[in-house]
Amino acid sequence: MIQSYRLGASIVHRMSAGPKLALFAVLALVSSAYPHDGWSVTVSLVVVCTLYLVAGLPVRVLIAEIWRLRWLVLVLGTALWIFVSPLTAWISTSRVASLLLLAALLTITTRMGDLLAVLHRMLRPLRRLGVDADAVAMTISLTLTMIPVVAGFAHAVREAQRARGVRPGLRTTVPLMVRTLRHADEVGDALAARGLV
Amino acid sequence: MRSETAVGSISLDGVAVEREGRAILRDVSVELTAQRIAVIGANGSGKSTFARLLNGLVLPDAGRVTVHDLDSRRDTKALRRRVGFVFTDPQSQILMPTPAEDLALSLRGSPRTEIASRVAGALAEHGLTDRADVPASDLSGGQKQLLALASVLITEPRLIVADEPTTLLDLRNSRRVSDLLLALPSQVVIVTHDLDLAARCDHAVLFDAGSLLAAGTPDDVIAEYRGRCG
Repeated sequence: MIQSYRLGASIVHRMSAGPKLALFAVLALVSSAYPHDGWSVTVSLVVVCTLYLVAGLPVRVLIAEIWRLRWLVLVLGTALWIFVSPLTAWISTSRVASLLLLAALLTITTRMGDLLAVLHRMLRPLRRLGVDADAVAMTISLTLTMIPVVAGFAHAVREAQRARGVRPGLRTTVPLMVRTLRHADEVGDALAARGLV
Repeated sequence: MRSETAVGSISLDGVAVEREGRAILRDVSVELTAQRIAVIGANGSGKSTFARLLNGLVLPDAGRVTVHDLDSRRDTKALRRRVGFVFTDPQSQILMPTPAEDLALSLRGSPRTEIASRVAGALAEHGLTDRADVPASDLSGGQKQLLALASVLITEPRLIVADEPTTLLDLRNSRRVSDLLLALPSQVVIVTHDLDLAARCDHAVLFDAGSLLAAGTPDDVIAEYRGRCG
């Protein structure tokens, strides 16, 4: 659910990353811990969706985010529907969807650098325990950066296999891993070249 | 943003590099003082290893590398601050999710206001202002290479080493990156297969099978290379 930042001037965008993260964390905690019934969970979901509109995001962004959850909703909802009850399926699925939509809204309206700066500040007191805040922030940032890169590798490997008439399967993972590990080596060199390690 | 003209001496003395028992570079000795230096040679000739020696990414197994009076083994950290390195594949060099954040990373430790103004300046200078906050993975190949170059230039290095910086680019972007590199006031070492680019440098060196084969004016060195390629 890590989405790319979208430029905006809404109150949600303008809010500082620290207070926004705290507010969203409180909302998420309340939504998770509250003993929801069918109505309250619907209100919770509507509130989160409304926050997208408050953030000035086009409705298609909200729809795209909901669409991303389709498999989760389908699998979780169906399982609960069959094995527990339709109401439980609605409550649990909506609760999870609200949380994930909230998380996506945070990353859509906050620059990753600002979030990492907050994380860095939060980790600073842990330095006494040997936690390297710089390294943790850098690791998270690198992970986020590499997700689309590795996805691109997977796409390229699939295309290469298709071009040679090879069916996608488990064998896809070997060239993907080789390529990813080679890229990791190159990134290591880039970190060293920029004096970051 | 640009550094002042600062041409120093790059010196390799009896340098050898081995990997898994195989000689990558053997007994390379050269002193380079030109501002724009081209490094040419066939694939696997040792060009990239030579480039990596200049930034301390590769340390010599024998001999000594000195760049602007800094010994690559003894002063590695200082050397990396002074020598910026541009990789062939910019994707490897972009370490943060967006261009603005990647440029800011190069300036970490500086005051926030200074970072903001210098990042904005660098983005504007390289035509990336409107791409500042988009995912770096969405940039075109040319934009990625410009960002990679900008992330190096923003630190104002005295020497820039570029390892085949135009190989993955189309003609327009290749020219743009070449022009940018050649116009820099700082010293530049460019590893390249583009002989037109090499010809525009002040000095050239030719590698072959791990040995330094020729060094001199680009015209002479390119002629030597062409002659060897048949």
